[in-house]
Amino acid sequence: MRKTADVVIIGAGISGLAIGVHLAKKGVKDIVILEKTFPGNGATGRCGAGIRMQWGVELNCLLSKFSVEYFENVNEILKNDVDVEFWQGGYLIGAKDELEAEQFRKNVTLQNSLGIESSYLSPEEAKDMMPHLDVSHIKAATFCGRDGHLNPFKTVEAFVKAAMDLGIDIEKNTIVTGIEKTGGRVSGVKTDKGDIKAPIVVNAAGGWSKQMAELAGADLPVYSRRHQILVTEPVEPLQSAMFMGFGLNIYIQQVPHGPFIMGRGDADEPTDLRMTSSWKFLNDMAETVTTLMPRLARLKVVRQWAGLYNMTSDAQPIYDEAPEAKGFYHACGFSGHGFMLAPATGQLMSELILGETPSIDISSLGIDRFKGDMLLPLESSVV
Amino acid sequence: MRDVPLLIIGAGPAGLSAAYRAAEAGCDVLLLERAKKIGGQLVKQTHKFFGSEKQFASTRGIHIVDILAGRTKDLPGKVEILTDATVLGIYEDGVVTADIAGTIEKIRPQAVIVATGAYERTLAFPGNDLPGVYGAGAVQTLMNEYGIKPGDQVLMVGAGNIGLIVSYQLMQAGVKVKAVIDAADRIGGYLVHASKIRRAGVPILVRHTVEAALGDSEVEQAVIVEIDDEWQPIKETRQVLDVDVICVAVGLSPLADLLYQAGAKSFYISPLGGHVPLRDQNMMTTLENIYIAGDVAGIEEASSAMVEGELAGVAAAQKLGYETPDTDQLKESCLAELRQLRAGPTGGKIRTGLALAGVYS
Repeated sequence: MRKTADVVIIGAGISGLAIGVHLAKKGVKDIVILEKTFPGNGATGRCGAGIRMQWGVELNCLLSKFSVEYFENVNEILKNDVDVEFWQGGYLIGAKDELEAEQFRKNVTLQNSLGIESSYLSPEEAKDMMPHLDVSHIKAATFCGRDGHLNPFKTVEAFVKAAMDLGIDIEKNTIVTGIEKTGGRVSGVKTDKGDIKAPIVVNAAGGWSKQMAELAGADLPVYSRRHQILVTEPVEPLQSAMFMGFGLNIYIQQVPHGPFIMGRGDADEPTDLRMTSSWKFLNDMAETVTTLMPRLARLKVVRQWAGLYNMTSDAQPIYDEAPEAKGFYHACGFSGHGFMLAPATGQLMSELILGETPSIDISSLGIDRFKGDMLLPLESSVV
Repeated sequence: MRDVPLLIIGAGPAGLSAAYRAAEAGCDVLLLERAKKIGGQLVKQTHKFFGSEKQFASTRGIHIVDILAGRTKDLPGKVEILTDATVLGIYEDGVVTADIAGTIEKIRPQAVIVATGAYERTLAFPGNDLPGVYGAGAVQTLMNEYGIKPGDQVLMVGAGNIGLIVSYQLMQAGVKVKAVIDAADRIGGYLVHASKIRRAGVPILVRHTVEAALGDSEVEQAVIVEIDDEWQPIKETRQVLDVDVICVAVGLSPLADLLYQAGAKSFYISPLGGHVPLRDQNMMTTLENIYIAGDVAGIEEASSAMVEGELAGVAAAQKLGYETPDTDQLKESCLAELRQLRAGPTGGKIRTGLALAGVYS
């Protein structure tokens, strides 16, 4: 492992990898990404890897629109031919009640004003699109055909390949044990494999970002909550679009080789960094999905697992330099959307670190917003 | 949700023995078996057992099942046995989920004995997915359970006890065993089994391996070759055998997935067959009140699986407060029997493995 670097990034999830790739493409040399286990083993490889532009607040729409356009051209941008299996079958989002339907009308108006071609659908129109959905449970729906999902492992592979082509060192099985400061500035990172001196350190540790911040004496107003997910046996193609409901509390997709992947949120899930699984999730998920899609009742579950949502109180990320340590940057608090925001994260963090004008105004995503009453409007379009 | 004092997973020799001893001490037992009938691997063991009277020497495996099952009846504790019941997970709150005849059920036991046994290892070689390439367990199931001949001409890969016994059973069924090969430089199984096969004219070729299975839609030939000290093939020794069955008997590994999922600490211990959960003298894993017994605790014989099962059954029942005046003595005698079963040169491997696992000092 090198003794010095220009930039050290903590975490080889999709966010850390994207930040590294973007910095390297802008000409930064000597970038080291430190990874506790192996690339993508955190939330990146455990998530549904969906990507949608149908959001309720403008900034999320803009960030995810950037990411969709990026993934549409990912091989040209990353200069490799890894097939990330970007399936643009759209997202069909169901409204549970009138209140949500009303919000969805506003969402579509906002999305359309930003050039996102989403549409508002009646339950009957949703039924035409997804015949196995019992639309008696929805009041309305929205759809955007450019939304979709990726294979998270292939996406990690594409970014790792790009990072290595750009000369970035990815240090696997390397645990960060300390973050050094000199006179209020970050000056290096200590690991179980040796120390690295670096003037810039990026905290992209996802579920463990708060612990990393603490090593630098920085306060990070995030917490991690376990989220569970399951995969079924593969079956013939049945569902092209991702189906999602916020009030209904579900996301479900059929991946290209046949299995269904689905998850739901639960406020009772632990927040102590556990990534174990529960039988309760299987119960609740089965009940949720078979109510909405009775045809899936006979599908066999082959595996369940869990990952961590790194949450902020407004469910939007933090892109900022830590006030306690100059040169120490946070890219975390993605609240369950880190995968889809990763291309934007890479672009915007590289601009922030290099002092360039950001492509999208992210001044509202600073860490200061949690101090007073500057919180962003809560993003309600989340599972 | 179903509450039970003791849940035992697997109704093979270890699980049945555990149920017997726990119920004898007054503990109610729920015993879940994945297959449609109980007995585990005993149901295909048509040969007579060796060893001591206590472990049913001279009795055929298929008959031992009845003895073991019979012992679980009319005891102070009640033993309920459910077949077609696959345990799916042991969760962190202690709840165990199982698919019982197609319905998912949740069980909350105070203690669990995992007696899931082992799975068969296989070999990677070109053509190993052709019909006609079998594991030794599958050949035994076909012949001894269902009375179906797997083929007419067999290459047996593996000269351990299973490879030798299955070869002999094939010969008894009128199947021609062309050769028994083993990559090791000596026969791994008991000499008494090897001698019977050799006397019948079947060559046992050590330092030989299978290179490929040949055939269009099923096995028609097997390519075998001698290997050198570096385990590399010696090309000029290559031979092609006309066979329609390649039976792979290269050993077993503990079926410890449930324990891995539950978070029991385990280590890779080669003499025990692979990843093995650690356990104490009472067969308890690093997880409170979760015990193991039989091949899941390290690959051995059915005889030691039965004794380990008895030990785990007594110990788990005792932990739950079910004791008799004989409990401690019973545990001592189980430990003594295990020591006896593992004594001598044939027990060397298991003693080494258990020493690595910290069981024997």
